This record gives sequence, C-alpha cells and structure tokens, in this order.
Amino acid sequence: MLNCDAMRDKLRKWREDNSRNSEQIVDVGEELISDHASKLGDDVWIIYEQVMIAALDCSRDDLALTCLQELRKQFPDSHRVKRLTGMRLEALERYDEANKHYDAILEDDPTNTAARKRKISILKAQGKNGEAIRELNEYLEQFVGDQEAWHELSELYINEHDYGKAAFCLEELMMTNPHNHLYCEQYAEVKYTQGGLENLELSRKYFSQALRLNNRNMRALFGLYMSASHIAASPKVSAKVKKDNIKYAAWAANQINRAYKVSICKQHSDILKTTSFT
Amino acid sequence: MPIQLTSQAYCKMLLHTAKYPHCAVNGLLIAEKSKEKKKDGHGVPVLCVDCVPLFHGTLALAPMLEVALTLIDTWCKENNYIIAGYYQANERKKDSKPNQVAEKVAARITENFSEAAIVMVDNSRLTVSCSEPIVVIYDHHENKWRNREVTMGSFEDWSEAQKITSALLVGRSYENLIDFDNHLDDLRNDWTNPVINKSVLDLC
Repeated sequence: MLNCDAMRDKLRKWREDNSRNSEQIVDVGEELISDHASKLGDDVWIIYEQVMIAALDCSRDDLALTCLQELRKQFPDSHRVKRLTGMRLEALERYDEANKHYDAILEDDPTNTAARKRKISILKAQGKNGEAIRELNEYLEQFVGDQEAWHELSELYINEHDYGKAAFCLEELMMTNPHNHLYCEQYAEVKYTQGGLENLELSRKYFSQALRLNNRNMRALFGLYMSASHIAASPKVSAKVKKDNIKYAAWAANQINRAYKVSICKQHSDILKTTSFT
Repeated sequence: MPIQLTSQAYCKMLLHTAKYPHCAVNGLLIAEKSKEKKKDGHGVPVLCVDCVPLFHGTLALAPMLEVALTLIDTWCKENNYIIAGYYQANERKKDSKPNQVAEKVAARITENFSEAAIVMVDNSRLTVSCSEPIVVIYDHHENKWRNREVTMGSFEDWSEAQKITSALLVGRSYENLIDFDNHLDDLRNDWTNPVINKSVLDLC
C-alpha cells in the first residue's frame, strides 16, 4: 500500500519519462483519484489527464469518462480537454466523429498542433501510412522544430522501408540534439540497413559517435562490431581499410565480452568467443 | 512437416504480445534438433519447444536483428536446439498478415531449416481467457507463404497451453517477460526467461 505522496511521485515520474505503462498508471492513478483527490491540489487536473489517457489504453472507458467529465466541468471551453474527448472517440474507433472534433479545434485555432497530430494518428490507426506520411511532412514544413514529429516520421518511413527518408529525419534530430546518443545510434542502424559500403562506413562512424556520447550503449557497441566486421570482409576495400576495421571490430568484441562478464549474465559471458559474425 | 507448439512456446509468444499492446513484437521459435534423419519424415510435426522474444516497436532495422540471430543461433547449438520459425504480432489490432520483415527473417531462417514457419498472432482475438488458439501459421509452398488451418493438433497439448497462458496473462506475468530489446537495454536481463519458464513448469 503506497501513501498518497509516493503515488503522486510515481505518476509524476511517469509523466516526465513519457512512459506508456498504462496498466500501472491506471492502478496507481485510480486509487489516488478515488481516495485522495482532495489532497492533490492543482495537480489533480494533470493527473486526471494522465489517468484518462492510460485508461483509454486499457479499455477502461468507465474510468476515462469519469476523468474526462471532471476535466470538462473544470475547463469547459478548453481545447486541451476537447482533444481528450477526441482521443476517447478514437479509442472507441469512432474516427469520423473524432476527426470532426479536431477539425472544430483547428477552425478555432489553426495553429493547434495537438489536434493536427491526432488527425495524423487516426490515419496511422487506420493503416493509411502513406497519407500519414504526407500529412506529417506538411505539418513539419510549418512546425519544423517539433522533435516528436520528426521522430514519428522517421519511424513511419522505417516501417515503409524508406530508409533514405528515415535517415533524413534522424539527421534533423541529430542536428538539433547533437548530444543525444540514441539518435546517433538509430541513424547508424538505418544506414546499416540501407546497405552498401558507403552506408556501412557511415554507420560505423555513427555507432562510434553514439559510444563516445554514451559508452554504455550496447546497441552502439554491437553495431560498431557488426559494421566494422562487414567492412573488413568486403572484397571492395583496400588492405589498409580492412586492417583498420579488423582492429575496430576486435576492440568492440573485447568491450562486448567485458560487458557480459561484468553483468551477471554468466551463461553468455563468452558468447563472442564461439560466435563468428561474418 | 507442420510445426507444433508446446505450452511454453505458445504462452511466451502471447505474453510478449500482451506486454507491448501498442507495439509490433517479434521473436524466434526454437525446436529440438532431431537426432535421426528420417527418410520419410512426412507428417512428423516439428515440435517448437520454446521461443525467444526479440523486439518490440520498430522491427524493420537490420543490425540488432543480425546480432540476435547470431547469438541465439550460438545458444541453440550449445543446447542442441535449432531456430525453426518466426513469430510476429503487428502493431494494429486488425492487421495479422505477415509483412516484408516477417518474410525476410523467415527466408533467413529457411537457409538453415528448410521447414521454417511464420506464426502470426491474431491480435483481434487476444483475450485473457484464451478460449481459442489465436495464431495463424504460414508455410512456404511454391515461393509463397500460405496459411494453414490451425487445429488442436498444432499444439502438443492445447488444453494445457490454454490453461497456462490464461493463468499467466491474468497474473500479469508479461511484466517480467524479457525480450532481446530489454537485454540490450541491460545485459543482466536474460532473454531465455528462466523465471517465466519456471512459472510455466509449475503450472504444468
């Protein structure tokens, strides 16, 4: 049994991390709302919003409606609450009605980014990836700094196997977030997937860069090993390039084996000894 | 040769699907390496004794998939197993067709195991009670993946699989299921899932 403050802290942490652990949010949030609503002060509204969205994820329409009704009472003309109404309609797969809601918001406020993004989410939910990509591109022409949107677009392109365009989106993200090791590493993965010697070399460089930014990024370490190994094995490279990449791959393999030894995953600690990747 | 699923393989597939309801998930199906080569092995099903959950979210990137295939292949060799198939649950509820990723991975698996199958999870029928099997099995015939009717015979013991999967879903065991992505996030996370395997054994 957690006390009110502990539950509040958990919900705050999950908001900050933007985690989608909806079942846990519903568990904690429902109890917090029903037993401690009066002690939450102004936090209660953002908690209602958070719990409502989690409740939609868990098909708890009863809970979602309760939260929504409290929010509507408190903020009767709010676009933010209207968006939540739209989200509930989406969860019920009433997409046409949801779209009407968002269109109404946009007529009132054409710069409302949340409503535009919900419309794109509806396209995605309906499997209309091509249209979603088109709309998201248009959106980004106007709102070029929206990182969440660039990332969503990169994922949509990856799912359509359009790796070149996915790479472009990740380049935008890396430019504005040069210290983010995750974007570097994802970019490297896209380049690797695109294939070809030039892309492999680029991917190796960006895996290295990701490691420089965070030396515990295992994906970057494995990626460095894989890309360097493939380059070394390519018949198109010079002897020097081959030698250099064998060195990089050997270094990476060493680091990987060390990382496994340090972890408690004993059964896998010598896994690279017996594994030949190329 | 058609594949057959043990309770452990089936339940871990569904737990993986349930753990990430908003994502696509995929994984590998593992069979025991058969000791003798039967000349007329027709009709003898390949028993998939286990599965290894791989990724959730973006499935269409190559490097980590290659790492996983290689590491898991090594683990298989050490334990006299073989990678015999691939499973995937798509992101959207009503979408249960194998896509390019599924076909590519399955083709890769087929290089080492000619009877490799694709098992797709039908998200729209996923329930806690598990009243019916919700997988669709695809075999490779004449250059196309064709789905085959799933019957009780597709399971080593359907009523056991049903009982165990339902119990673990109700008990939210999927919160502790480890996939290869989780392992890459923290190497201490064990993708062989010994804890879940023990829960399955305890319920048998």
